[in-house]
Amino acid sequence: MIEIFVNDQSLHVNEGVLLIEALIQNRIDIPYFCYHEALGMDGNCRMCMVGIEGQKRPQIACDTIVKAGMRVHTTGERIEDVRRRILELELVNHPVDCPICDQAGECKLQDFYMDYGLYDSAVSKGEKVHGAKHVDLGANVMLDQERCVLCARCTRFTCNITKTHELGIIGRGDHARISTMPGRKLSNPYAMNVVDLCPVGALTSKDFRFAQRVWFLSSTPSVCHSCAKGCNIFIDHNAPKYQKERIYRFRPRRNDAVNGHFICDAGRLSYKSLNDHRLTCNNPDAMDRAKALIQAAHNIALLVDANLYCEQLDALVAFAQRIGAQLYCPNQCYYDEGFGDEWLRRPWRAANLAHINTLGITQSTPSEAHDLIISFNHPDLSSLTCKHKIAFSTHEGVEADVVLALRSWAEEAGTLINITA
Amino acid sequence: MKIRVVQRHGTALKDRLYLPAIWQGLKITATHLLKNVGDIKSVDVLEYPEEQPSDITNRYRGLHRLTHREDGSVRCVACYMCATACPAGCIFIEAAERTDGVDEKMPSRFAIDTLECVFCGYCVEACPCDAIRMDTGIFSLIGSRREDFVLEKEQLLAHKGAFDE
Repeated sequence: MIEIFVNDQSLHVNEGVLLIEALIQNRIDIPYFCYHEALGMDGNCRMCMVGIEGQKRPQIACDTIVKAGMRVHTTGERIEDVRRRILELELVNHPVDCPICDQAGECKLQDFYMDYGLYDSAVSKGEKVHGAKHVDLGANVMLDQERCVLCARCTRFTCNITKTHELGIIGRGDHARISTMPGRKLSNPYAMNVVDLCPVGALTSKDFRFAQRVWFLSSTPSVCHSCAKGCNIFIDHNAPKYQKERIYRFRPRRNDAVNGHFICDAGRLSYKSLNDHRLTCNNPDAMDRAKALIQAAHNIALLVDANLYCEQLDALVAFAQRIGAQLYCPNQCYYDEGFGDEWLRRPWRAANLAHINTLGITQSTPSEAHDLIISFNHPDLSSLTCKHKIAFSTHEGVEADVVLALRSWAEEAGTLINITA
Repeated sequence: MKIRVVQRHGTALKDRLYLPAIWQGLKITATHLLKNVGDIKSVDVLEYPEEQPSDITNRYRGLHRLTHREDGSVRCVACYMCATACPAGCIFIEAAERTDGVDEKMPSRFAIDTLECVFCGYCVEACPCDAIRMDTGIFSLIGSRREDFVLEKEQLLAHKGAFDE
């Protein structure tokens, strides 16, 4: 640990870290476009200028390694003037089409303009260099070349992280722009992360396009249920006036122990199934009929979904004991060999299989000796034959003697045990 | 600290009797009544609805309208600024990809529930495109069902401005 001074405030930071990391960790305001914790420094946007005592000119914080006793100023007239001028250059060809831009509300250009800019533009709209707008890059990503600040986060993501190299910067000066390689589309299972990485509205999601303004959305931290990895996510949801609550998108939530800053596209788009064809209400006599069926049965099988939370599974184990049922969780329906990869995607496509293992629940199909199957959202129920069936289900389209509505994982709180291996 | 004691009003016998005050009030009413009955022409009355008001100025906030561009297409780009600013939450917008090639985004639905609207004019203030105005001069809307008062995009686009630019 070494001591540095930022705005005369003493900070203790690890030796060898970048100055911008130290500033971000200590929650000191510093504007930046190109630096990203997962992608490292690039030093192209020049927004993170700071004054360092003993240095003649302002320096970029992302390319400066902390030194013991370093004295840094992130505020002051001179630094703010430099930032304002750099921001003016970043925005010089920007179309200022915030009303139609999906990034509006979570855009770094907007934030920095309000924090550090507030100048009158020296360039009129007619003099701006125009680029291609609403280009479909593939993989649900829309490109607007005019809005780009050329921070190269997206190209560094495809080069260094997915190593698929689809994106590049072509042209020079005012005409430099992001594009795919000729004849190629953006296509990799993690492509939509460039939408989150893009600090401005140059890369937006085709799936979320015009769906909702971001300031209407509430974010709830959660965990993706698309596979056993358990990537941390934010669920962005909203209930428009006179309408039911809907989920509009999933965004990755940083967890260095699991998924870092990213999630896969399949997980990101898995929110859709939580909105549509939901079973929302019960028949008034459903509970009584279910009770009667359970009392009349002699040999009950209790089918549990491997996406249920630990608390729910524990309660179901107690319930099974009480009614004398045998627990099953047939697991073949969750296995998708082709889905797994070496980064975030796991072939087991259920979120809590680890707890099913811990509880020792039988993971094969129930024998035909049972005269009643009670299913808690298990996807295999319709393929099983039995005299009577009771289905607790989150979605419509389940055939059983009694169907009861169940809350989805996004509407419940609970614990999951992921499989990281 | 200085304390000034103020005599409470209405404690005198004249006030406690009430009748002198009532008499004084009735006297004013009766004077006006006699004056008006004597000269009925001078009474300031608008015989609405046969007679329509003539004093609506361009600052009057009437029913809303959606404006057009020079080429006749809808000016609104569905940015939701009006819906965000609306204190009554009475603006319902659904955005869609624009198909007329003018811009990228347009409203597929733009509705104002005039029963919820408080006619504050914040939507007009918030609009970055001058796409919504309240200069129609329309001050009454008649309907027999609640749905009649929800103005849809087509109705709002059909409204004309009542004043010169």
